[in-house]
Amino acid sequence: MTKERFKELMQPIADGLFGKQKPYHMQQGTPPVVRPVGMIVEDLCTISDDEWAKYAFSREPLNGKFTDEQRVELTRKAMACGREYAERVVQEQGVRDPEKLAEKLGMKVDYPRMPQSTDRVLFAEFREPNKIHIYMDGVDKGEVLFAEPGVRHALTAQLDIKKLLLGHELFHWVEEKYRKEIWTRTYRLRLWEVGPVHNDSTVMVLGEIAAMAFTQALNNLRYSPYVMDAYLVYGYSPEAASALYEEMMTFAGRTPRLPEELEPA
Amino acid sequence: MEFIIGILLLLTFFGLAYYCIKGHNLMIGFLVITIAWTVLSLGGTAVSSADFLASNPVLTDTTLVKMLNAIYQSAPEGWGTTLVNVCWGAWFGRVLMETGIASTLIRKTVELGGDKPMVTIALLNIVTAIIFTAMTGAGPVIAIGVIVLPIMMSLGVPKAIAMFSFMESVAAGIYLNPVNFAQYRAFFIEPSEMEAFTLGWYAGKWGYAAVIISVVVATVLSGIFLKTSKTSHAWAAQTRGAAEQKDAPFYTLFLPIVPVALKIAFDFSVIGGFVIAGFLALFLCGKMKGSFAENCQLVNKLYYDGVVDTAPLVGFLLTLPMFNKVASYASPYFKVVLGPVMPKSELVVCVLFAVLLGLGLFRGPMTLVGCGAATLGVLSNVASFSVPFLYCVFAIPTITVNIGSCITQSWVAWGLAYTKVESKDYLKLSIPCAYIAGILLYVLTMVTMSGMGPEWFI
Repeated sequence: MTKERFKELMQPIADGLFGKQKPYHMQQGTPPVVRPVGMIVEDLCTISDDEWAKYAFSREPLNGKFTDEQRVELTRKAMACGREYAERVVQEQGVRDPEKLAEKLGMKVDYPRMPQSTDRVLFAEFREPNKIHIYMDGVDKGEVLFAEPGVRHALTAQLDIKKLLLGHELFHWVEEKYRKEIWTRTYRLRLWEVGPVHNDSTVMVLGEIAAMAFTQALNNLRYSPYVMDAYLVYGYSPEAASALYEEMMTFAGRTPRLPEELEPA
Repeated sequence: MEFIIGILLLLTFFGLAYYCIKGHNLMIGFLVITIAWTVLSLGGTAVSSADFLASNPVLTDTTLVKMLNAIYQSAPEGWGTTLVNVCWGAWFGRVLMETGIASTLIRKTVELGGDKPMVTIALLNIVTAIIFTAMTGAGPVIAIGVIVLPIMMSLGVPKAIAMFSFMESVAAGIYLNPVNFAQYRAFFIEPSEMEAFTLGWYAGKWGYAAVIISVVVATVLSGIFLKTSKTSHAWAAQTRGAAEQKDAPFYTLFLPIVPVALKIAFDFSVIGGFVIAGFLALFLCGKMKGSFAENCQLVNKLYYDGVVDTAPLVGFLLTLPMFNKVASYASPYFKVVLGPVMPKSELVVCVLFAVLLGLGLFRGPMTLVGCGAATLGVLSNVASFSVPFLYCVFAIPTITVNIGSCITQSWVAWGLAYTKVESKDYLKLSIPCAYIAGILLYVLTMVTMSGMGPEWFI
């Protein structure tokens, strides 16, 4: 064993003994191969709606209850629902721009900075009845990455990160307003049944998928806003974003590219 | 002169409390105060009165070198037996994560409750508490946290309530955790002393009830907090823990409780229980299908990761016994200063500790994993209480207040960063819980652990 390797192995123990008490971070496995951000967004922007189904459902607590076919079918319905309500709200309010829409709907939107940890990067939040927080730390980092090769081309000049996040959160307000009739809330999954007793549940991820389609429609984007999951994380940790990229590509049934496969511009 | 030394000792005690509250390294803090108390206590014999020395043979019975050896050699050596339990417990925790047993338990629980937040919170609290009767260390808490917390938040549970509910359930399970039991028991007596004070005896008399009280209080309070809060939805990228994992076979889901059950039912070896349940889990979940060398590597890697999980605790755990030992030499001086004011009745101790529960926060003078070890040293040497009674009296602020409710607990600090909950928002929920659960647990202690016979005293 080399001296450096020995030092590396002893470091966590030495930190524990002599370092100041600090939040604990779990040891992780082999780090993923870091890809250029341009390659990540270029590949993710080509993933179709159906292909996002498995990734979207992987964040659903009841994911184990569905087959792949059901995931795709429900994803389609949720996206259709999101688009339908986007057009409905636009027609009712007479504006498509998410910022103006938020103003017309009486939303209280603020833009706190809030630094993030790489385990879970929070982009935006809706709190009943009408509060929306757009966390600017991630947005700013994302805007800096626009200068990286291939990013603007893949994400297009149409993208305004703030408006994209705002549009997503607006859907949650819409979902609350129409909760008695909107499909994402009326769809029920039977979890269990014992004689006459049963437990039916809504499926939370359907609201998230619909929110993605809703903001995609408001912002006139040709790719899924799920791309932002990897893109905005890249600003914090290229490793974590590359791991997400691998996960998304694998869920979509595609092979993640390696940095050396990047074609010269 | 002994009165002045007693006052100096007391001042260093408050200095340690301040140091701990400021969040500095506990190991170094306890090492420094051990040295300070050694100098004051043993050096103090040169200037103390003859009457004082005659009435405290602990200070004069043996040679100086033997006393120093007892503090700096025998005491930490004695804790070796506790430490190996910690290492094996950490390994078992890693096995439950690697095999997917822990995550499967959580997912199946959620599939029972569905979108009803209160039902799901209640079920998750119960399962989390059961899991942490066996799992040990920050690694397993984080591994389960990255599954449980996003689930709760996706159900619309506000992040502060989700985190509060999870962290309090982890603490509830620790009341029955054999590793923690052995660890805290060693504060009061040598591992070989008082053989009747086993986990099984403790669980039947106090432990089961303590877990139930803690889970019920955390769940009921979560329900109350939930009623008065607004639903929230967040767009967040979860960068780990969400990847698809195969369900562990259903017949392996009972394995987390095997070590605890064996210990309680038959007083079977804790490490033996971890080894049996750990290897059963690895074999039954198909993790040992590689070559012999690959299987060895896996077991070894899990052990390495587990030990690293507990590394931040090791130095502290091995310094504490030095401090506990030197506290016995300092106690005659404390008796001179505090003897007249320290509580000597069990009822007064319970009432006083219930009122002062908040001092278990920020590694204060009530928690054994802070400067409460010093309070124990003082209390147990100025008055006489049974070991099980004192154990429960100190376990409450240590587990419910420090481990479950305090932001200085490593995994609570991780949770704050993970969920983006403000410290003050967490404390607003956890402090009422600490007081309500704590008071109920002191009532339980008075009912079940007071007035014990002479066999429970040292």
